[in-house]
Amino acid sequence: MEQSTRLAADSLAFKDVTVHYNDAKDRASQDDEMQDTNRTKEIQFKASHTVLIFFFLWIFLLHAIGIYFFTKGFLLTRLVLDHKSNCGSPPIELGQPSPASFADGCWHPKTFDKAVIVIIDALRYDFTVPFSGEPHHFHNALTVLDETSRQTPEKAFLLPFIADPPTTTLQRLKGLTTGTLPTFIDAGSNFAGTAIEEDNLVAQLRDAGKTLVHLGDDTWHSLFPGYFDANLTHAYDSFNVWDLHTVDNGVTEHLLPLLKPENSSKWDIIFGHYLGVDHAGHRYGPDHSATNAKLREMDSVLRKVIASLDEKTLLVVMGDHGMDVKGDHGGESDDEIEAALWMYSNKGVFGRGHNGFMEPPATAKERPVGQIDLVPTLSLLLGMPIPFNNLGAPIAETFVGPGEPDWQNLATVNALAAAQISNYQHEYSQARGLNEDVFSLPQAFWKDGLQSWREALKSGRHSDRFRPAFESFAKHQQETLKICRSLWARFDIPSMLEGIMILICAVAILGTYARSFRPIALELIPVYLVHMTMFGTISAALCSAITLVVFRGGLVNAALLGLAAGGISGFTYASANLPQSFTLPFPRSLWGWLAVVLTLSQSIGFASNSYTIWEDEILLCFLSTFTLIAFASSMRQEFFIERILGIFQAGIFLVLTRLASLSRLCREEQMPYCRSTYYASSTSSTSAPWQLLIPIVSATLLPTVIKTYYQPTRSYQGSATIWIGFAARLGLLASAIYWVLDTADDNDWLTVDKGVLQIIKIVIARLILGVSLVVGTTMFVWSNPCISIQVTPEVNGSADGDVAPKPKSVKVFGYANVHGTRYFLLVINWLLAVVLLQKPMGAGAIGVLAVQILALLEIVNTNNLSQSAIGPVVLGLLGSFHFFKTGHQATLSSIQWESAFVALKTIRYPWSPLLVVLNTFGAQILTTIAVPLIALWKQPPKKPRLLGDVAKALATLLLYYAVINLATTMWAGWLRRHLMLYRIFSPRFMTGAAVLLIVDLIGILVGIGSLRWNFASIAEVFGWN
Amino acid sequence: MTETTTEAKPRKLIPISQSISVLPTDTARIYNHIHPILILSLYYLCFPSLVSDPVSALKKSVAPLAHLQIIYCVVCLPPSKGSSTQSTPSTTPKKKKVQFAKPAAKPPTTLATRIIPAILSLLLSLSLSAPLLTVILILFGAPLTTHFWHNLLCATHISLLGVLPLFYVHGVDGRMWREISGACLPFDEVWGGVIGAVVGAWLGAVPIPLDWDREWQKWPVTIVTGAYLGWFVFRFAGEYLLRGKRIEFD
Repeated sequence: MEQSTRLAADSLAFKDVTVHYNDAKDRASQDDEMQDTNRTKEIQFKASHTVLIFFFLWIFLLHAIGIYFFTKGFLLTRLVLDHKSNCGSPPIELGQPSPASFADGCWHPKTFDKAVIVIIDALRYDFTVPFSGEPHHFHNALTVLDETSRQTPEKAFLLPFIADPPTTTLQRLKGLTTGTLPTFIDAGSNFAGTAIEEDNLVAQLRDAGKTLVHLGDDTWHSLFPGYFDANLTHAYDSFNVWDLHTVDNGVTEHLLPLLKPENSSKWDIIFGHYLGVDHAGHRYGPDHSATNAKLREMDSVLRKVIASLDEKTLLVVMGDHGMDVKGDHGGESDDEIEAALWMYSNKGVFGRGHNGFMEPPATAKERPVGQIDLVPTLSLLLGMPIPFNNLGAPIAETFVGPGEPDWQNLATVNALAAAQISNYQHEYSQARGLNEDVFSLPQAFWKDGLQSWREALKSGRHSDRFRPAFESFAKHQQETLKICRSLWARFDIPSMLEGIMILICAVAILGTYARSFRPIALELIPVYLVHMTMFGTISAALCSAITLVVFRGGLVNAALLGLAAGGISGFTYASANLPQSFTLPFPRSLWGWLAVVLTLSQSIGFASNSYTIWEDEILLCFLSTFTLIAFASSMRQEFFIERILGIFQAGIFLVLTRLASLSRLCREEQMPYCRSTYYASSTSSTSAPWQLLIPIVSATLLPTVIKTYYQPTRSYQGSATIWIGFAARLGLLASAIYWVLDTADDNDWLTVDKGVLQIIKIVIARLILGVSLVVGTTMFVWSNPCISIQVTPEVNGSADGDVAPKPKSVKVFGYANVHGTRYFLLVINWLLAVVLLQKPMGAGAIGVLAVQILALLEIVNTNNLSQSAIGPVVLGLLGSFHFFKTGHQATLSSIQWESAFVALKTIRYPWSPLLVVLNTFGAQILTTIAVPLIALWKQPPKKPRLLGDVAKALATLLLYYAVINLATTMWAGWLRRHLMLYRIFSPRFMTGAAVLLIVDLIGILVGIGSLRWNFASIAEVFGWN
Repeated sequence: MTETTTEAKPRKLIPISQSISVLPTDTARIYNHIHPILILSLYYLCFPSLVSDPVSALKKSVAPLAHLQIIYCVVCLPPSKGSSTQSTPSTTPKKKKVQFAKPAAKPPTTLATRIIPAILSLLLSLSLSAPLLTVILILFGAPLTTHFWHNLLCATHISLLGVLPLFYVHGVDGRMWREISGACLPFDEVWGGVIGAVVGAWLGAVPIPLDWDREWQKWPVTIVTGAYLGWFVFRFAGEYLLRGKRIEFD
């Protein structure tokens, strides 16, 4: 068969192909043969496609196992039990009467009716005790606590009050109200939000019908929404650390009037939370006159409070944590955990008889009590049941009584607390499937205590006889606490190391595959796959068997570890036997080096909290750097069209990057050098009306702009016209309408019933998601390539030679970018879904991202970079960049939980989490789906090894995210004692891990998966390669 | 169906630019080495006031820097012969062996023929490249709505350091500037200085985010510092180590 193929090689923009058939008759005879080879090639393609998917699933598996092992050792989670303690049923019958009513006290006769609980944020213990040496600013300023405890020991006592890390206010308040140790993640039934679900003192007080008043730090309201009396409560924003006075003045202004006798019937418990000392610490540090002034102010306020206190009211003053030398907190250094606790009452019930020390300890190292001890103490003093999850013990000073020590009372309260702990520990072991042996030591103390108690009861109730029982019960509490602490708060280093090792190996495998395989080696993937699977299975079976025989337990972990180790050694074994299939993995061009330098410098930066905090700005700088080099590279093009195309696209990319960077949601640590623009103001999470213009503009412009990338190759044909011109336009417009309605709903612009509005919104949202993901995917499977074929019939030359003979010719419009234009339709599908789930500002950012992806593809194509690592790496940077530009940060608090309700009325699994994932990682998901385009854009339909090129591009993108994840993982593990662990490194590690797993799955299932139909549809026209 | 794929590899521009050498006089050779030290001393003297009040320090040092650079150009560098005298070389790859000016054939330059291009270069680098560099700084993440003078003065300094001599030796020839914006000049003192200033300014951004609370971390002290140091290092590297080499992308 003779063909002449004409490629307009000199003009890239019009690379349509025209094929002339000179001899049509030959075709029939060769058709059969061609069909045969075609079928063979189709089967070959499908086989290698399937093999590729399995290979990438192996990579995903290694990532998942690595992250699992690291997380298991690093983020120990605590299961939250839903049980509640009950007033009517004390945890133990002690053989003495208990009142069992709220009026007299639940498990124990109550001491006080009312309480004023004042939290002075970051009140370190040494702020409160006298200091005789060279005083710092924070010394001897707040003296009232020490003074009263010395002068009237029966009315007041002052003790060091040790916080359990993390020493952040939110976690501390959880500890101070539930009596338990908050871990980084409290795994509970609650999907979103921060409200405390488990049993706690505030909930018990409310259920008992007490009127609760809260003044100050608004963190309380996210923990206890709706618990406080709406009229008397006054909450203030807690994050403005630059403002030392608003919160404090507000608290004082409302607190003192409430203490007047005429107002005393209005409330039962007041929680006052002062932030001035903490803010002074953050802003100036403790050794500064501002801190001194703040402490003096607290001193005078407390004196006023004492003066207006009646007999029935207990006054508690405490710090929720301390502060380090710079005035910051969050970690677990001594200065941060040593807070102060002071209790005062005019009733004169406090004593020191159990240890005989009358004066407050000089340093926080002597006679400290735990912060979790506050909950049982307050519960019993106020006649409440001890919350179910409590692990603390009653503070002896409050129950021992003035004068001679009342050992019986002490033993009683400790028995109640210990019984409660015992119940809890039993339930927890059952819920978690723990072996009861774990708690055998405290159980022994518990039994001892009961024994001594019974003996003391029999022997005539002399108070001294109860001392052994008290001591055993106290021991029981201490031992249980120790065990729980080790269960929840200790890092499991070997497990972390296992995880890191697996992740390192996964990076090595991915790196080898992406950058070091010779093209021919891609065809050897089946060999690798077989070895990995074989070794993996055998090793998993071996490990499980050994574990089963030798250790008896932990079967799943052993099997997973074996699987990962086997897979890795399988890959290594296969590589060792195929040494000819590698080249050195070092970059061979400036572009390659740029990809490596950008990835590595970002990874190294995660070791520093500053670079982690400012990641968004760093990504902006990196992206601009790439574009500037791309600009220079385009300048080197010989031909005008290519040069202009490259320069123009680089310019678009550069300007759009900076434009997108204007959308910011600042994290707390970026203050005051950052201004949030994502929402209407820095304190709201709703959009400003003007921001509604962004999705509307995006809906108008984006389809037109995308069209301009199709037109130069004449690819705006067939399905592209419906998709871009109609479906995308309509979908984007519908999301814009959705957000207009949403804002109208928030601001009450419409007089429509809220319920009706919500239904309309949900219908729109579901339509968009349905059309984009379900209908869109189906269409993508069936759609034809974006080409149109023009057939010119054969012209037989007339005998006289007037008409020249012309063979039949077929002209294909859109030939030059067959693969790319069709595949991009899939990106548009996902774009519609992602845009819907973003706030108006985010819709703009995602629109910008879409254009940037197209501009990048043109840059990559004109500069001949489709094989280079830089394309996928820049896509990865773009994904990370737009993660920040869609209103996210690497913190838990920036997760936009409300996006779960875009298409749903209530939480529904698995849809709600999926919507939140699509909102949070929308940018990374889109760039991952787009990564095959790096290899496909403007490539001829039958380019050899195109599938391998795509796989290589995807592997490079995954490599970028895997390196970032590995870096954040290693740094989080290495810096596990760092002050900023819980605020910066842990959340960044979790973000990195989540991104990697999601990107893996999307890349395999959507990216590689959909290639099957893309190639098939193109092969239908052009034949298999 | 089979095809003959004649995939068009994009053809690259073949650079015709040559390394420039300092004028063959003793004064030029000596001052060529004194000049960088003078510039760095100027910077060193300005540093304390740069940290305390960047805008006024940068503003005050523009004039001395411009003078020093002009003197350097006049004393050491061969001026461009202007775009009119240089024939635009053909772009087809066949004729890639292109003529370039032989130093020996140059007519002797008088002081006036050197001062005027130097002043023109100054004007061009102030009016053209300084605003352009300001835009680039902003695109790289410099504050958009505030710090206008900081950005402009920072760009002016980089421009005077790097671009002024570039205008002086290469003029406004279109082909030359295509090569310059394609970064394909061969290394010499001038081109080394340009690359050094750019790379240095880029690296200068590195310490800004750190939470060391130092006064010198403020915008744009580190950028200017990086540019000066980078310029200093790379202009020597360009003169000796890298002389004649070109940056290759692929």
